[in-house]
Amino acid sequence: MTTPSSSGDDNLVAPGPGVRQGDPGSATGAALGGGPAGAGTATTVGGGTLTQPRIPAQAAEHGERADGTDTAEPIGLGTSPVRADALAKAMGTFPYAADLWAEGLLWGAVARSPYAHARILSIDYGPALAIPGVYAVVTAADLRLGPTGLADGAPSGPIVQDRPVFAADVVRHFGEPVAAVAADHPDTARLAAAAITVAYEPMEPLTDPEAAFTAPPIHPDGNLFRHQPVRFGDPEATGDVVVEGLYKVGRQDPAPIGAEAGLAVPRPDGGVELHVASTDPHGDRDRAAHCLGLDPDRVRLVVSGVPGATADREDVGFQVALGLLAIRTGHPVKMALTREESFLTHPHRHPALLRYRHHADAEGRLVKVEAQLLLDGGAYAEVSSEALAAAAAMAAGPYVVPHVFVDAWAVRTNNPPAGRMRGEGALQTCFAYESQLDRLAAALDLDPLEIRRRNAMSTGDQLPTGQAVTCPAPVAELLDALAAEPLPPLPVDQPDDEWLLPGGPGGAGDPAAVRRGIGYAVGMVHILGAEGTDEVSTASVRVSGSQASVMCTAVDTGTGFSTLARQIVQDVLGITDVYIAPVDTDQPPAGPSARGRQTWVSGGAVERAALMVRHQLLQPLAMQFGMSPELLTISDGKITSYDGVLGMPVLQALEGKDLWATAQCRPHPTEPLDAETGQGDAFVGLAFCAMRAVVDVDVELGTVRAVELAVAQDVGRALNPEQIEARIEAGATQGLGLALMEDLVSEGGRISNASFTRYRLPTSLDAPSIRVVALLEERDVVAPFGAKAVGAAPATVAPAAVAAAVRAATGRQINRLPIPAEDVAG
Amino acid sequence: MLPASLDEAVTALAASPAAVPVAGGTDLMGAVNAGLLRPMALIGLGRINELRGWQYQDGTAQLGAGLTHARMGRPDFAALMPALAEAARSAGPPQVRNAGTLGGNIVTADPAGDTLPVLAALEATVTLVGPEGGREVPVSHLLTGLDPMRGGELLGYVRVPLLHAPQVFLKATGRTGPSRAAASVALVLDPARRAVRCAVGAVAPVPLRPLEAEQWVSGCIDWDGDRAIDPAAAAAFGEYVAAACVPEPPQADPEGLEGGPAAAAVRLRRTVSVLARRALGRALK
Ligand SMILES: Cc1cc2nc3c(=O)[nH]c(=O)nc-3n(C[C@H](O)[C@H](O)[C@H](O)COP(=O)(O)OP(=O)(O)OC[C@H]3O[C@@H](n4cnc5c(N)ncnc54)[C@H](O)[C@@H]3O)c2cc1C
Repeated sequence: MTTPSSSGDDNLVAPGPGVRQGDPGSATGAALGGGPAGAGTATTVGGGTLTQPRIPAQAAEHGERADGTDTAEPIGLGTSPVRADALAKAMGTFPYAADLWAEGLLWGAVARSPYAHARILSIDYGPALAIPGVYAVVTAADLRLGPTGLADGAPSGPIVQDRPVFAADVVRHFGEPVAAVAADHPDTARLAAAAITVAYEPMEPLTDPEAAFTAPPIHPDGNLFRHQPVRFGDPEATGDVVVEGLYKVGRQDPAPIGAEAGLAVPRPDGGVELHVASTDPHGDRDRAAHCLGLDPDRVRLVVSGVPGATADREDVGFQVALGLLAIRTGHPVKMALTREESFLTHPHRHPALLRYRHHADAEGRLVKVEAQLLLDGGAYAEVSSEALAAAAAMAAGPYVVPHVFVDAWAVRTNNPPAGRMRGEGALQTCFAYESQLDRLAAALDLDPLEIRRRNAMSTGDQLPTGQAVTCPAPVAELLDALAAEPLPPLPVDQPDDEWLLPGGPGGAGDPAAVRRGIGYAVGMVHILGAEGTDEVSTASVRVSGSQASVMCTAVDTGTGFSTLARQIVQDVLGITDVYIAPVDTDQPPAGPSARGRQTWVSGGAVERAALMVRHQLLQPLAMQFGMSPELLTISDGKITSYDGVLGMPVLQALEGKDLWATAQCRPHPTEPLDAETGQGDAFVGLAFCAMRAVVDVDVELGTVRAVELAVAQDVGRALNPEQIEARIEAGATQGLGLALMEDLVSEGGRISNASFTRYRLPTSLDAPSIRVVALLEERDVVAPFGAKAVGAAPATVAPAAVAAAVRAATGRQINRLPIPAEDVAG
Repeated sequence: MLPASLDEAVTALAASPAAVPVAGGTDLMGAVNAGLLRPMALIGLGRINELRGWQYQDGTAQLGAGLTHARMGRPDFAALMPALAEAARSAGPPQVRNAGTLGGNIVTADPAGDTLPVLAALEATVTLVGPEGGREVPVSHLLTGLDPMRGGELLGYVRVPLLHAPQVFLKATGRTGPSRAAASVALVLDPARRAVRCAVGAVAPVPLRPLEAEQWVSGCIDWDGDRAIDPAAAAAFGEYVAAACVPEPPQADPEGLEGGPAAAAVRLRRTVSVLARRALGRALK
């Protein structure tokens, strides 16, 4: 709306030498204007030029392998190559979104609601504009107008279009964006944001999800996002033993190590280029274009280094505000959220309230599970309906249960919005059904492992949704692997001061009050989007000379996807030097990096494209030797024929050639759950994980230290064993954090602990030794490579396992996560 | 501004009263970065060597306000002021302990400041230095606002008595790694005066002294013998301390799922009680 002094001369940093294409950081280099392949660009950080270190190990590898003789180090699938970005990340030189820079940039800041629920009476941005150095203030009025011609904040969303970029008439959560400012200095921008005078009429916040059903609607769409029943079997069935429980899961924050940051650069055509750490570039691009009222092809999204994401990362209020400021001012605009802002707006884990009743026969075999599940979706829909489907369909866990009756609701409240986080929906129910299994075991005097074995699901069994489990479901095998594993030693022979007690070194812990507990849990997650989501990814592979390159817009959020893509191409084509192109929306979509989908769809697409190139390479050779290409194999960088007549280095065969292919991967379709019965083949695949937790509990202070987590996981095929272990450690640690300490506290909708001092994350002293005792490799025949996603399952199961261990140590009901000290020791 | 002596710093502060002193910056810079504070100028105290050390003075130790937590955690310091050393060792991660100072901890006066209950139990005094010279103020008067720091003053030194007897600092936190205290207890023995002194941190805006409990338990100890105490008396001491320092929890069912404020208050009382009991036990071991 208001651009008092835009000068329009904004030079981007000119491309310069420094970053070789394919090196860590080249994504950012490309972000700043790109350059022809090979030219590369430099990333200017705060004025200085950042030179990207080459990865010495890889450089050496290339040198040695060029002649095809030295292949000492194994490459390809099943090996564990060092990630290409590992060194730069370890040395702190990897450029993340917050390191982006452009000449003449302005700084953005967002004005946020101090209320969880209030009507906006007026916004006076005059005082902000009057501050010298302020270039523009934008509000809902600057976005695409609503259907009635009035400003509505351009609501958008991945499923339901209900979340405005800026609140237009009503604010629905604490910290919701109301306006944004661009100024020549970050402090000025913040001052100006604070100077915007918004007159609010506070309204009663709806923060108790149970009250959402009867409270007046806080949004025109109502307070219910979705109700999903599941009706399976006979509602009258009963068992000999019945146990009931009410469980509660708190609000976990993804707490990415790097807060949201990004750079927007206006385009001459009136569009904008967004350089952000997106995990869903095309989805975000489309939503941004929609909100800005632009054609999608006038918005280009370039993915910069992602400093931590466990599924969803940024909210539209960040990305669109950034883009709008750039368009308004004609200047590049950079915005970096404070830690507090970051806590307030990005998607959180759904808090949940779960009521369960389990029926079992005298032998401990499950007869019936009844459950009522309530997810607090926060102020806007986001993906709550998706999380709810997972919660409802997997409410009974990885067990054979003949009768299952579930009612699951996701509701709207004035709490911060919830979204995707590893194991959304599945995690909450896993804690509840596994706690129920512990109760049943206690009631029947059965070993907790034994009761789980007796009910374990396997391939061919049915989910309560009627879907047959066709993928490997080695639940019993996972439990057996745990049972066979020796326990960590008791610290009895250790001097007291060498024993890391709950409370930490030099803490208040007293060995005499410490009890050890051992708990088990097993759980499952679904892989890929559910209920008819069109899952598809596209990838191109090109080989010219001795280098292969992969173009695929699957964002490597730290999951190691680019390492995997490299391994796949190495495996299929026998080429060592594989370059992974940076991600932007000029290329076809690969979909969001969430729900464990990239290994499957994007890995699958890369494999297919590589296989097509392989065919192009082998076909002429086969013709030449008068045999079919199937009789040729590529291994160790050599093409050999079945009879050994042909033995040619791949690089020789490639000489002077330029081959390329594009392929898609689309798994078999799924269908929505029936709205009344919850029946339907909603999932593409399932992954399972079993965990044993060992904890020490100070039963007087209620403090807990996890000593060890032993993990057995169903991975289909271990494509990169070290990477898998790292993913398991990450997931298990995140689950442990939720179990013991992580909770974003809403006091009447106001978040009271939005800082790393008050929102406690596990530190290295809190993280137990995590031992992967088994990676079960039973290939999933429909999945590319037979592999399953690995990140979500351990995060899903760890909270349940830790809770079980605390239960065993204290003999108390552990019904809440994170486990409050007063539940551990009253 | 980086003055090299306390006098210079006081002069600098007098010359620009809007300037804010900064020692380790571990509290101050957080506030600046969060936009809570916009100092016009900073007076760095890091170069003032006289504030960075400590020395004996007539049966007491004179501690410079610039002593870092890391320095206070070292064995030589711990041998004379064990509870202060324990508090310093538990104050945050190593990076913070290397920079954060005693003076900063006192001036910030966070309820969960770890050195504060120890200083309260030791009945330490602080020397505040201003343009008119220095004055000595009991740390408790400073913290409660009875005798606050005046404009233009800097915290120069902290004087603690050397008691040559066991001292304990215990802190309950929400995780195993470094964390702020949910509650803490400092307990020192003063054999010369046959006294036990105790302070509870983090449960109120300032450290609390349960004077009656101190007096009662001092009478239970056989000061001339092996200073042993009956476990039941130690437990009673814990309860006594907790009752004195944590308000009566509101009535509610503490076993309910919702927990709520009642359960949390019950928990806090028990925590303080356990800490006080354990602290006494360790001091008398
Ligand atoms: C990650 C982290 C963890 C932490 N954990 C703990 C913890 O567990 N326990 C704990 O107690 N604290 C903790 N802290 C807080 C902090 O480290 C301590 O309070 C520390 O002692 C502050 O000292 P400083 O020298 O850094 O103070 P500064 O930040 O430099 O100053 C703090 C305040 O004191 C004033 N000031 C400093 N020195 C003087 C002086 N000589 N005269 C007058 N005014 C002065 C400053 O003007 C400022 O207002 C933590 C901090 C961080 C960042």
